[in-house]
Amino acid sequence: MARYLITQSLLSSWLYIYDCFDGYEDSAMDAFLHTLRREPEELDDEQRQRIQNGIEFENEVYSQAAGERRAPHPKWESGICEIADLLKGAQFQVKVYREIEVAGITFLVYGILDALREAVISDVKFKNKSFGSLDLAGDYLNSPQHPLYFYLVPEARLFRYLVSDGQDVYIEQYEPGDCPSAAELILQFVQFLTANNLLDAYLQNWQARS
Amino acid sequence: MIVNPENMSFDGKKFSMILYGSPGIGKTTLALSAPDPVLIDFDRGMSRVRSQHRKAAIFCDTYEDVLNDLASPDMKQFQTIVVDTGGSFITYLQDWAMRADPKVNCQKNGAISLKGFGAVKMEFSRFTSYVKDTLNKNLIYVFHSLEQMDKDGNPQVRLMCEGAAKNIVWTPCDFGGYVQMIGDRRDVCFTPEQEFFAKGCHGIKGHWTIPELGPADTNDFITKLFDKAKANIAAEAEEYAPLKEQYDRVMETVHQILDTVKDEESANRALQDIPNLAHALTSKRESSAMLSERAKSLGLVYSKSAGAFVPKEEKEA
Repeated sequence: MARYLITQSLLSSWLYIYDCFDGYEDSAMDAFLHTLRREPEELDDEQRQRIQNGIEFENEVYSQAAGERRAPHPKWESGICEIADLLKGAQFQVKVYREIEVAGITFLVYGILDALREAVISDVKFKNKSFGSLDLAGDYLNSPQHPLYFYLVPEARLFRYLVSDGQDVYIEQYEPGDCPSAAELILQFVQFLTANNLLDAYLQNWQARS
Repeated sequence: MIVNPENMSFDGKKFSMILYGSPGIGKTTLALSAPDPVLIDFDRGMSRVRSQHRKAAIFCDTYEDVLNDLASPDMKQFQTIVVDTGGSFITYLQDWAMRADPKVNCQKNGAISLKGFGAVKMEFSRFTSYVKDTLNKNLIYVFHSLEQMDKDGNPQVRLMCEGAAKNIVWTPCDFGGYVQMIGDRRDVCFTPEQEFFAKGCHGIKGHWTIPELGPADTNDFITKLFDKAKANIAAEAEEYAPLKEQYDRVMETVHQILDTVKDEESANRALQDIPNLAHALTSKRESSAMLSERAKSLGLVYSKSAGAFVPKEEKEA
């Protein structure tokens, strides 16, 4: 039986259509369509650098948490060490998947946990912009990540977003009862695709390998 | 002193909390319902609390005055320190930072510099852990709320607080409650909603109605809430302790098994043995990830068709 992949980044791309700033809905929709059709996104240098910074930050955190020998980072050492302290003893980049049936379709929910230890899932986020006067509280309230990951790891007791700009660390955490279920989210996603004649595009491009 | 989970007591557990809401909604009186409070009156707001609910207060002109008072032996009688308001506290800290190091923390026009903001942020964090960890007191930050519009024009309520402290203040706090009027009742909510952010833990979640206080009523709402949280922690610990013990035992065995993994044969033996352990919490997933990592370091990969680890070259072929 065919199964179709659901990832947090696919759902995030869809939800961004609702979450983006006024006037950016068209570009958010374009970006979502690229993701839906699995077309490589064209990135400018700044976007590439931002992604690269995030990868570099995470790698430094994992390396520090694992107790590997490393040179202090010239810009982000304080954020790296503070997050690494929270992740000591964790397993990193743990791949998880689980089937779910919604609206008569069998989906394969797939995710990679940044860190897992003692029933706590942690996700490391790097902000390219200094926290400064940003107001981060509630930034992840509507994220599909923790609902999907609680479905993927039903024995998890807590999901923590560990956010850093390299200097400071902001933590936002959720418990399993704090969010909509994965099934609800996926149902809304299917309804959106159906209403916009995009369900076929999804089914063509997101079939899971058996 | 090593204490096993089954012997732990949470009677003396101290909490930190944020209470925020519109001016005049009764946040200070609510904060004073915490156990044995002393209020640091940065905002000169004690006069607005009804006389029967007033408690001891620290009135100060500078941040140094506050530090002196906190270091005094008189502090022993208090269990809770209420900072009223957190926003005004930041203003006092800015004044302190600029006086302490004017060259670095002060701009030519007399405003605080970026480095000054950094110093304020650091001192704010230091103060929070000093009260919580060194003095071992409950800590309540009272903030006014700031209503802004989100990008769709919907109202969004946030802490009224200058600079990055508004982010770091959330991280160490156990509870963050938004105080509001719902109809004719006062309510404090510890679960985030679209309109406001909030934070709960230890089973303290959702909306709580704040009782109206008559002249003879005891103001003890937060005291009872803390008691409830302590009871929940104890119940949670009782439920969690056996799972945690089991988890620790399994993970110890997993480490022993992994120490024996030196080649394809021993990796596949571990592949058989690890799933059959009496797993608890996330030990099964963690041990599986650890085994994969160990196998990878030996040049092995899992072959679904073989149901076993095989040399990487063999799978690719």
